Amino acid sequence: MSNAHTSATTTFGDRAARFARNYYIYFVLVAVVALLSLANLDRFDLFERGNFLNPNNIINILRVSAPLLTLAGAFTLLMVSGYIDLSVGSAMSLSAVVYALLAINGTPFLAAFLITMVVGAGLGSINGFLVVRLKITPVIATLITLSLFKGVALLLVEDGVSAIKSGGGLKMPSWFNDYGREGVLLSLPAAFWVAVLVTAVLVIAQNRTLLGKYAAATGGNPTAAKLSGINTGKVVFLLYVIVGVTAALAGIARSSFMSLGDPLSGDGMELTAILVVLLGGTAFSGGEGRVLRSFIGALIIMALTVGMLTLVPAYYQTLVLGTALLAAAASNHLVSRKEAGS
Amino acid sequence: MTAQPTPVLQVEGLTKDFPGVRAVDDVSFSIERSTIHCLVGENGAGKSTLVKMLTGALRPTSGTMTVSGAPYEPHNPNDARRGGIATLFQELHVVDQLTVQENLTLGMERSRFGFLVSSDLDDRVVGTLAAIEPSIDPSARVSSLSVAQKQIVEIARAASSGASVIIMDEPTAALSEREVERLFAVIRRLRETDVTVIYISHKLDEIFELGDAVTVLRDGRHIATRPLSQVAGPPELIEMMIGRAVLQNYTPRTTVSEETVLTADGLTNDLLKDVSFHIKRGEVVGFYGLVGAGKTEIARALFAADKVAGSIEFNGRPVGRSPKDAIRSGIALVPEERRTQGLFTSLSVRRNISVMNTRKLSSSGVFRSADEKAAAIEYVRKLSIATDSIEKYAEKLSGGNQQKVVLAKCLFADADLLLLDEPTRGVDVGAKTEIYDIIRRLADSGTSVAVFSSELEEVLGICDRIFLLVSGSLAEEVKNGPDADAAHILNVVTGGERRAAP
Amino acid sequence: MSVSASTDAMKSTVTPSSDRRVGDETFITMLVACVAVGLFVVASLAVPNFFQPLTMLNLVTNNWAVISLGVGVTFLLVSGNFDLSVGGIVALSGVLAVWFAQATGGVNALSTGFGFPTWLAIVCALCGALAIGALNALFVVRFKVPSIIVTLGTMLVARGIAQVITQGSQRNTNLPADFGVLGNLTMFGTSVKLPVIGMAILLAVAVFIERKTVFGRLTYWIGANPVAARLSGIDNAWHVTKLYLFSAGVAGMVGILLASEFKSGFSNRGTLMEFDALVIALLGGVAIAGGFGSVIGMFFGALILGVVTTAATGLVLSPDWQFTLKAIAVFLAVTTQTWALARRHR
Repeated sequence: MSNAHTSATTTFGDRAARFARNYYIYFVLVAVVALLSLANLDRFDLFERGNFLNPNNIINILRVSAPLLTLAGAFTLLMVSGYIDLSVGSAMSLSAVVYALLAINGTPFLAAFLITMVVGAGLGSINGFLVVRLKITPVIATLITLSLFKGVALLLVEDGVSAIKSGGGLKMPSWFNDYGREGVLLSLPAAFWVAVLVTAVLVIAQNRTLLGKYAAATGGNPTAAKLSGINTGKVVFLLYVIVGVTAALAGIARSSFMSLGDPLSGDGMELTAILVVLLGGTAFSGGEGRVLRSFIGALIIMALTVGMLTLVPAYYQTLVLGTALLAAAASNHLVSRKEAGS
Repeated sequence: MTAQPTPVLQVEGLTKDFPGVRAVDDVSFSIERSTIHCLVGENGAGKSTLVKMLTGALRPTSGTMTVSGAPYEPHNPNDARRGGIATLFQELHVVDQLTVQENLTLGMERSRFGFLVSSDLDDRVVGTLAAIEPSIDPSARVSSLSVAQKQIVEIARAASSGASVIIMDEPTAALSEREVERLFAVIRRLRETDVTVIYISHKLDEIFELGDAVTVLRDGRHIATRPLSQVAGPPELIEMMIGRAVLQNYTPRTTVSEETVLTADGLTNDLLKDVSFHIKRGEVVGFYGLVGAGKTEIARALFAADKVAGSIEFNGRPVGRSPKDAIRSGIALVPEERRTQGLFTSLSVRRNISVMNTRKLSSSGVFRSADEKAAAIEYVRKLSIATDSIEKYAEKLSGGNQQKVVLAKCLFADADLLLLDEPTRGVDVGAKTEIYDIIRRLADSGTSVAVFSSELEEVLGICDRIFLLVSGSLAEEVKNGPDADAAHILNVVTGGERRAAP
Repeated sequence: MSVSASTDAMKSTVTPSSDRRVGDETFITMLVACVAVGLFVVASLAVPNFFQPLTMLNLVTNNWAVISLGVGVTFLLVSGNFDLSVGGIVALSGVLAVWFAQATGGVNALSTGFGFPTWLAIVCALCGALAIGALNALFVVRFKVPSIIVTLGTMLVARGIAQVITQGSQRNTNLPADFGVLGNLTMFGTSVKLPVIGMAILLAVAVFIERKTVFGRLTYWIGANPVAARLSGIDNAWHVTKLYLFSAGVAGMVGILLASEFKSGFSNRGTLMEFDALVIALLGGVAIAGGFGSVIGMFFGALILGVVTTAATGLVLSPDWQFTLKAIAVFLAVTTQTWALARRHR
């Protein structure tokens, strides 16, 4: 009741708080990049560079970031609607395997690309079906599909082989690598630009379409959404399908970058996705979150992971990721509590 | 008579049966266009059942409804909205994370290929909002608005969705006085824009201030529909609501001791304003007031479930800081919401009864199964809970028996002071009488009982002393007896007789 | 229907019996047990060489670690909380135990430890496990962050610390001779090892706690209705904290026993064990909504998973089938249990 008498006018403090909430993520990005550039990297020579801000290094980071950047936006919209998808990593692996299989068996690039996207949409609709129609709790439903997609991906790869790759009479076509590695614009590969495109489309979707608005309404106040005549089930189903498609695109990017279809390549991606989205200020209770901020969050995490490789040994990564996840969750909690209390 | 326009809403012979109960019985009345039509009646008079039928949440057993002359058979709230009837529920249905304007157009957006396109709709909703409350910025996020402003946003949405009738169910329960004034201004402007408002409230002063006509329900039946100008004043309305003299089977009890067990001094929080009282051993006190008057807040404060300023002493000692402490010092609470706060619906009767006093049934942390079963059977018998087995899930009992299980749980705690928040809400008549008997027996055996109720008959039937609450303050203390004046009490709590808070 | 029941009862005073028909929990547990036995029979008929005493014994002995973890996970699920950190804790406590026990002054960093006596190393490793449990409780109870996110985070933290200590691989040198005793001790002149006996004792104790003690009952009350539990004088926060410590403690012990069995602290040990523990609990009829489920059910859930995977191996399916089989099993378990309960309540 404390705010019962406040009018719509805002104080300077309120505005400062809102500014901080909207733009903090960019400060974090700048701070992370600045810190990594200041660090003395002479001792390490992993990506043939002397400085973090070396163009080659930046291009490299953006290249390996493509899968995560592709996923972050759709994952954000799904969490805004109050749902979660733990199967994105497995969907990504399965898509990578499917894409590699298609390519190695002579399917032309565009056909393989489109078929894989359709497969991704199918995987997403399985999630949507379990959650929306069968009303299985999202966490359990997507844990089931996490296991299922991973299982199918493993089954698609012959026994005794770890991944789909050249060998045994079959050879990866020469174009296979191009999508994820070959610079097409500003020395950056198509996979990166697709990630940018997907994010741009989703930013527009969030701000300018019924889907974006209904996702926020579904997550913010499901009863109100239903009473307003919104078919929330349809919204959620559609979002699962979109997440599935972006997972497929992420799988294609990863597969092309690594030149193989690895059935384990997406393992742990769901955790990174949750981390990135929480870092971008998305509330786990739903309703709140921005596609663009998650994109920036993904850049931060990739800069941090790649940058860290140059400072500390690789085996520090899991610990840093876990700590970051807990820190993001805790700060998210503090912010939402502050807002509820004000 | 022939010149009269078609009423905007007409109800003919509307009846709703629940198993064993007829909640609404052959109700017929009509509501004129562009009026503020008040709906009054005591708790249990059938108001909420009637409203649920109007909004499509319930289907009538028989009878018809027509809106502006056309038959109206809603199956859900969306049907109702399409039929021109929108409802403002007590809980708010706005999306905090969207802006005011986005909320106003929610579900009605114009789009092309899924893209939102600007249209006259935006101008219209903003216009409607500006007409009824210009101070709200359409681009503000709803989370930054007050409860009252959110309510107005909902009203504006209903008005701009083309609803010809807006039902408001106790809209002022959570508002301050100034906000109430603002809401009234909004409602009057709505009337000018050709919207009919069905206004449900217990606050009679509001009804006289705002309403054009009033419909009175009592025991599920229609008593009268009249222009308010033809009602002499709150006393006449109260008489129509109560009908006969309030049923009073209260007999002054002799077992109340003079020893004070609980003293509350200056209880103050967001709602409560400096509430002080005491309760004696073996006494049944009642706290009576409307929704939002502070009954539940006092109950929860005494039980240490919420923080409150002021002091509470029980048997000469402070109560403590948590329900756990309160129970330990001898206080037990039957909470307001049985299913969400009192009962473990997915557990058996046996497992429900033991929860507040596990020490009595266990030795060094291990349950003595035989004792637990015996205790459960004992209490099922004692309160005559209708169940064929103590292993039955609480979910499968009737409302009255569920309430008795919650009561049993509290009795099993061997409390010296029982706090009963709406002890008979949603309970059938038979179980109600039984619960009253239990309360009397308890008090006679020396337990103090505090009943927090919005039913006048209840407090007049069982309480020795009654505290009247008006928006968080203790307005008056009434000693119960043959000369207790029901009309006066109703007048005080409904604000019919505004008096300065003490 | 409910009202008529109550009026009937008011006329004729019914004497409430103590127990006439089985409760939902017992019903589901029996259902799970029947499925386990049924699958065993089917597997015995269909799979060559399946029906042997050894197979039956192996179903339990091969899965002692996951079943033990399942106990803590089940208790937490019943209270309405996830624990996905147990796999990480298995790795962490094992690595810690080895690290503390390794003698000082090895040839390189990975063979140099603290030189603690084995018992002290075990105690210290357990403390490390409990610290992760405390972290879980802190975030879930204090900060009110959803338990699934918290325990995913602590899973990474625990495994991350293990990876840092082992530099991403394992520590297995320079250990005292008695370090491998606990995990390899065989009992009663049979091939049954101590950890399996430990699991059996843990199961028995857990069933006792769940059925007979106040502690067990508090778990159900909190899971069934946390609001009512608080208003009935239960300290929800403290109880959930104890459950997280219990689960972490069990996971810590499992990690130590595995480290002892293999005489190594491996940072990737226990990967996906948290997932399997959750799977067997779900197969056993534990509801993630809280307030429903039993340790016995979880045990039969483990048997189902064991039979399915063993049979799959027996049918010479590639081990890659395990993920798909698990997914199908959990899907069937979740949907049939919902369906069976709905029918029963009709």
